[in-house]
Amino acid sequence: MIRAAKQSLLIAAKDLRIESRSRQTISLVVVLGILIVTVLGLGLGGQRPDGPAATAVLWVAYLFSGVLCFEKTMAVERQDGALAGLLLAPLDRGVIYLGKLLSNVVLMFAVAGVITPVGILFFGFDLSKAPLGFLAIMGMSMLGFAAVGTLFAAMVSSSRLQGGLLAMVVFPITLPLVIASTQLTSRLYQGDETWNGSAFAVLVAFDAIFLVVSWLAFEWVIEP
Amino acid sequence: MPQQNNGLLRAFWAVTLLALAAAVAVLIAYTPDEATMGPVQKIFYLHLPLAINTFLACLLVFVASIGYLWQRSVWWDDLAVAGAKVAVLLCSGVLITGMIWGKSAWGLWWTWSPRLTFSLMLWLLYVVYLTVRASVESGQRRAVVGAVYGITAFLDVPLVWLSARLMPDIHPSSITLSGEMKLTLALWFLPVTLMTFGLIIARFRLNRIIRDTTDETQRGFEPVNLHVSEGIA
Repeated sequence: MIRAAKQSLLIAAKDLRIESRSRQTISLVVVLGILIVTVLGLGLGGQRPDGPAATAVLWVAYLFSGVLCFEKTMAVERQDGALAGLLLAPLDRGVIYLGKLLSNVVLMFAVAGVITPVGILFFGFDLSKAPLGFLAIMGMSMLGFAAVGTLFAAMVSSSRLQGGLLAMVVFPITLPLVIASTQLTSRLYQGDETWNGSAFAVLVAFDAIFLVVSWLAFEWVIEP
Repeated sequence: MPQQNNGLLRAFWAVTLLALAAAVAVLIAYTPDEATMGPVQKIFYLHLPLAINTFLACLLVFVASIGYLWQRSVWWDDLAVAGAKVAVLLCSGVLITGMIWGKSAWGLWWTWSPRLTFSLMLWLLYVVYLTVRASVESGQRRAVVGAVYGITAFLDVPLVWLSARLMPDIHPSSITLSGEMKLTLALWFLPVTLMTFGLIIARFRLNRIIRDTTDETQRGFEPVNLHVSEGIA
C-alpha cells in the first residue's frame, strides 16, 4: 500500500519534473485557457454574466484545457519509447494510472489557478462570498474529470487516434459533473444558503465510481 | 449463415409486423383520446416502450463489453456494436417522439427538464461510442476501446440520471391511465420490444458476415496467425 503510493508519487514527480523543465504543456494550456475565456467574453458581447453563466465560462475553459493536459502527459511517454520502459518497470499498471492521475490533477490545478483569476478579471466574477465552497466543488469536479480523462488519454494515445478525439470521448461522460457542479455553485452564489445535498452526492459518487473503474480498466487500455 | 435461420427470422419479422399492425389498429380504433391533449397524447404509447427498450440495448452493450474483455472473442464485440447501433436508433426515436409530445403539451420543442436532458445525454454517450470506434484503425484495439468505453458509458448512466434530476422538472413523472390506456400501452410494448430484438439480431448477423468476408479477403494478403491472435488474444 505504502509502496504503491511511493511508486505513484515517483511517476507523478517524474512527469512534473519533465514539465517544470520543458514547460511544454503548461504554457500551451494556459494560453488556450485565456483564449477560450476571451472568446466567450467577446461572444457574450462584453456583458458581465451572472452566477450560472460565470461557472459555464469557467467550465468550458477548464474542460478544454484539461483535455489538452491529459493528452500531453500521455504524449510525453510516446517519445523515445518511454512508455515501453514504464510498462517494463516492475510496477502494477494501477500504480502507473495513479501517478498519471496525480500529475494531471496537479497540472489542472495549476492551469485553473491561472484561468480563474483571468475570469475574475475579465468578467468581474465575485467568488469572495464562498471561496472555500468554490474550491471544494471545483476540486472534486476536477478530480472526477481527471479520473476519466487519464484513462481515456491512455486509450486514445495507445490507439493512435486523431487529435481532438479525446475531448469527444471524455465530455459526454463528464456531463454529470458539469450539471452537479453548476447547480452547486449557482446555489452558492445566488444567496441560497441551503446545501444542495443530492448534487454533492452526484459529485462524490462520480469521483468514487470513476476512480475505481479507471484504475481497474487502465491495464486493458495501456499498450506500447 | 444457415438457410433455415433465415426462415425463422422471416417468421419473427412477420410476427413483429403483425403485432405492430394490431397495435396501430387498437390505438386508432379502441384507445380513448386523452382529455386535455387530445389525439397527440397517443404518441406516448410509442414513446415509453422505446425508452424502456433503449435501456435494454444499452444494457446489452455493457454485458457484451464485459464479455469481450473477459473472453476476448470478436463475437462479443459484434454484439456490442449491434446493441449500440440499435440503442442510438431507439434513443433518437425517444427524443423525436418526446419533442413532438412536448411541443403540443408545453408549447416547446425542448426544455432542459431532467428526462429530456437525460435522453439527450444518453444519446450522446452512445453516438460517441459509435464514432470513436469508427476512428480506431486496428481491429483488436477498436474492440478494446469500444469495450472499455461501453462499460464506462453504462456506469455513467445512473450518474447521468441522478444529475439530470437536478434540473428543474416539468415532465410528468407518474401518470394515471385508464384501463383502456394501460392495455394499449401493454400492447405497444410487444411490437417495439420484438423490433428491438429483431434489429439487434439483424445487425449482429450483418456484423458477423462483414467480419467473415473481410477476414477472408485479408487472409490472401496477410499472415494467417495475425487473425488467430486477433480472435483469441
